[in-house]
Amino acid sequence: MKNFLHSLKIYFILSLYSFKTINDHRKAIFFFILGKFFRFLFFFLLLFFVFKKNPSVNQYNFNQVIIIYLTFNFIDTLAQTLYREVYRFRPLLISGDLDLILIKPYNTLIRVLLGGLDFTDLGFLIFYLFILIFFLIKYQFDFLNLFLYFLLLGNAMILATAFHILVLAFGILFTTVDHTIMIYRDLTSFGRFPFDIYRKTLRDFLTFVLPIGIMFSFPPKALFGLLSFENIIIAFLISLILFFLSLKIWGFSLKKYQSGGS
Amino acid sequence: MITVKNLTKIYKTPIRQKNLFQDIFFRKYKETIALDNISFSIDENEFVGFIGPNGAGKTTTMKILSGILYPTSGEIDVLGFYPFDKKEKFLKQISFVMGQKNQLIWDLPAIDSFLLNKEIYEIEDNQFKKNLNNLTSILNCSNLINKPVKSLSLGERMKMELIASFLHDPKIIFLDEPTIGLDIFSQEAIRNFLKTYQKEFKKTIILTSHYLEDVKKLAKRLIIINQGKIIYDGSLKNIIDFYSKEKIIRLTLEKRPEDNFLKKHSLLKYQFPFLVLKVKKNQINQIVSQLNEEIDYSDITIEDEPIEEIIKKILKNN
Repeated sequence: MKNFLHSLKIYFILSLYSFKTINDHRKAIFFFILGKFFRFLFFFLLLFFVFKKNPSVNQYNFNQVIIIYLTFNFIDTLAQTLYREVYRFRPLLISGDLDLILIKPYNTLIRVLLGGLDFTDLGFLIFYLFILIFFLIKYQFDFLNLFLYFLLLGNAMILATAFHILVLAFGILFTTVDHTIMIYRDLTSFGRFPFDIYRKTLRDFLTFVLPIGIMFSFPPKALFGLLSFENIIIAFLISLILFFLSLKIWGFSLKKYQSGGS
Repeated sequence: MITVKNLTKIYKTPIRQKNLFQDIFFRKYKETIALDNISFSIDENEFVGFIGPNGAGKTTTMKILSGILYPTSGEIDVLGFYPFDKKEKFLKQISFVMGQKNQLIWDLPAIDSFLLNKEIYEIEDNQFKKNLNNLTSILNCSNLINKPVKSLSLGERMKMELIASFLHDPKIIFLDEPTIGLDIFSQEAIRNFLKTYQKEFKKTIILTSHYLEDVKKLAKRLIIINQGKIIYDGSLKNIIDFYSKEKIIRLTLEKRPEDNFLKKHSLLKYQFPFLVLKVKKNQINQIVSQLNEEIDYSDITIEDEPIEEIIKKILKNN
């Protein structure tokens, strides 16, 4: 408990510093936020116009597709809010400044994974959450399904954590962070749409080999009552296995760390 | 305090083959021996200078001792811990300052990084204030701690790095090129600080520097490392006595010497009225007598060979 509180306090300080840094770069952050907002808006309008002509796409109505899209945005943005530090890992690695993090009596993984909260994404997260709640209320859901939806959202975050830990570990092993994170982001973008629109082979690959489907498609499917009990169990099992595997690979990568700079 | 036995570190780097398929599935690695079975121990309150050419293994040794790198083989004991385990108790007792690396938050004032370290190292409020005051007064930089790090000069930033690294009162301090890139005044300020700090607080300090002036002025013990092997471990004084076979004689002449005289002696430099000779240690008395007879001079000094030259010779012979 003491350790947890200690880590929480450090996380709070790092988040405060992250806020101070953002405040120093207000103009750049404004355009970054504007860009993200337009991306969201255009995609929302695209869905709106598609459904204006067709009442349903692959059995999903407009409300359901919007919930899928918002669920994707929520998970994706929450992962970015929490794990923004991963995107800054490569400079740490190349310059060798990671050395100075490794000698601190504070868990290195927590430091390079969480760093401090990203306040630009936090704003978006709150924005998505409100719209998501709005559409969830509009949807006639079953309480058990809603409970499973939240449980699978938590599960998606375990998977997102595991993916980010793997990015860090691969960064140490192969000094490539940007490529791995871009591959992760490209793959996750499949989750913007209902997975049923993809061919079965691709769908299975993206669900059970690279568990993107478990992250983004399973929570809304559980909410709509379209997910079997077996799939829910498989989802949790895959997440836990991947999470522990990522921790093992992280530990292995630290042993292989060669340190940059001098 | 530090015991190292048969420490070896081998770096593996992938070799690019002609075939991409082989590069991906049958990767070959080149092995570089950074440390080759070295052993040494360091006691409490010692100031040890690690020197050697680039790639000799100095920094690798320090990184293994601090737990940054995982050794290939060997026994290491630092303060009763195996460094790579990264136990909190161990990490709270060490510090590492790297001249080319940065732990301060670039956009914020240094005080913010100090406060972060205060929490990370769990330093009590009173202790933090006391240590911060001590360090800023020795380094004479209390006016800098509230300025954003990005606006500080390199020398000022190094002062802040030292404060950030020493706030938690570490028992062992690793210094890797702390004066690199600094102007002579900043170098002097950092050296004076380290000297005062070690004397006052009785710390164990291990220093690597390409500026031998740092090592000469600060370290009493010298470890010379080359190609991953320790080739000298002893005092600075002993290295001169043991390895220096020659002395330097500097003269200020009153008259120009004859050509014969100039041909007879091994001259290092001659620009009237200054003359510098290099002579064998065991011939020093004989040569001085000869000089008295053969030339008129107003001043004479006899010096040891510069330590840089001695070390160069040792490394060359090795």
